[in-house]
Amino acid sequence: MAFEDVTVAKPTPETYKALEADLCNHSGKVPLHERFRALFTLKALADNEAVDIVGRAFADESALLKHELAYVLGQMKNPHAHAVLKQVLATKEEDPMVRHEAAEALGAIGHLDSIVILEEYLKDDSEVVVQTCELAIEKIKYDHRKEKEALPESAYSSIDPAPPTTDEEATEQLRAIYLNQKLPLFERYRAMFALRNQCTTESVLALADGFDDPSALFRHEIAYVFGQMQHPAAVPSLVKVLGKLDEANMVRHEAAEALGSIATPEVYPVLEHFKNDHERVVRESCVVALDMFAYENSGELQYADGLSK
Amino acid sequence: MNNVANCLQHLKPQRDDQMTHNTMADNHDDEQHNVQFEGTSSGASLTFPIQCSALRKNGHVVIKGRPCKIVDMSTSKTGKHGHAKVHLVAIDIFTGKKLEDLSPSTHNMDVPNIKREEFTLLNIDDDFLNLMTADGGNKDDVKLPDGELGEKITADFDDGKELLITIIAAMGEEAAISYKEAPKSG
Repeated sequence: MAFEDVTVAKPTPETYKALEADLCNHSGKVPLHERFRALFTLKALADNEAVDIVGRAFADESALLKHELAYVLGQMKNPHAHAVLKQVLATKEEDPMVRHEAAEALGAIGHLDSIVILEEYLKDDSEVVVQTCELAIEKIKYDHRKEKEALPESAYSSIDPAPPTTDEEATEQLRAIYLNQKLPLFERYRAMFALRNQCTTESVLALADGFDDPSALFRHEIAYVFGQMQHPAAVPSLVKVLGKLDEANMVRHEAAEALGSIATPEVYPVLEHFKNDHERVVRESCVVALDMFAYENSGELQYADGLSK
Repeated sequence: MNNVANCLQHLKPQRDDQMTHNTMADNHDDEQHNVQFEGTSSGASLTFPIQCSALRKNGHVVIKGRPCKIVDMSTSKTGKHGHAKVHLVAIDIFTGKKLEDLSPSTHNMDVPNIKREEFTLLNIDDDFLNLMTADGGNKDDVKLPDGELGEKITADFDDGKELLITIIAAMGEEAAISYKEAPKSG
């Protein structure tokens, strides 16, 4: 990303130890949201040592934490994470949300060698895992195309599961591609990220129309991009998704965190309410989301503040 | 300009001094919120929105309603959603006062349209500069600057030198910021 502060000096071994103690909750007293902040501090470091620490945190029980670990390993784009990601993906007892994130992370790192690994899961029992692997394979193939497309500069530093559509700019046209269930998921995702980059009320409303899609993976990605866009027009649809008790956990979880990121005053009582949800992953997401809310509304510069403590 | 710049129009009317980031719903509007300044010859807007992440050091930005030059910028590390906060330190281009702001990188900030123009100094009249525009008209509404710059302009003008004064204009305000001796003709 163009504007990320890269002037992070290599921390001391003691700092790594402290970050690991926070992330892995060695004391048993570290609140979940602090563990997340430690995780994103490690994401910014992105070296092998940071990858190893994140890998060791998979011993935890929280699916929310573990899915975030896998996500961060992908975003670090460090192939040193391949071994642990493959292992997580192969663990069938693991929550599908965590396995999905491991598959997506292999796509984010983007090595051609990962394609054969991902192909093994195209008939997995979990539809979320199957669809993620399809997308990740397409993404890796795209990354290795001989003829590169010129992609517009994005305001977001994330490595996305698909690049934005480049040959269409009209919101209505992008919306039609995005909602067309007959098209390949990769193409629909590309339209989704193009709509994200537009970031207008119109594009938010077009994206919200996707919440009726039959794919939970697709619906969860909408909630994620809403968290990126921080556009208040997304709040009503996210509140609705979070409040839908028969919606998939990974979608409700993503909606909660997106609300924390948008951080307008009306989301606070909603997150407070669902902090008591019957689903653990939703409860925990609300805790993390309330911390994001606090950060967005604070005068603090750093969310990932593990180096300044 | 990138479409992204339409994102999250970030109206910042009266910001408090604690640099708190405020994502009130009414900060977000897809309509351009450029302030139109009636009476400028060009009819150009006083400011234009730009995504915070696209601001650069030594560029300009509006902070607390004042046109400023950015002297320092730092960007936070990113969290889950891949957006950062940007801390801006800037100097009011008219008063020299230091101002700070903290904004999400995805939000829009206003950039002042700044115009620099040179005028020939005709006279100094009761602390106002009598200037001549390029098309020969008169411009008498800019003050002689305070302090050393004003004293030097007065001294050189009294010596009979022909002076060109640079006037900076932004957000409906104008000031003389520098001057030089006109090149000798012939």
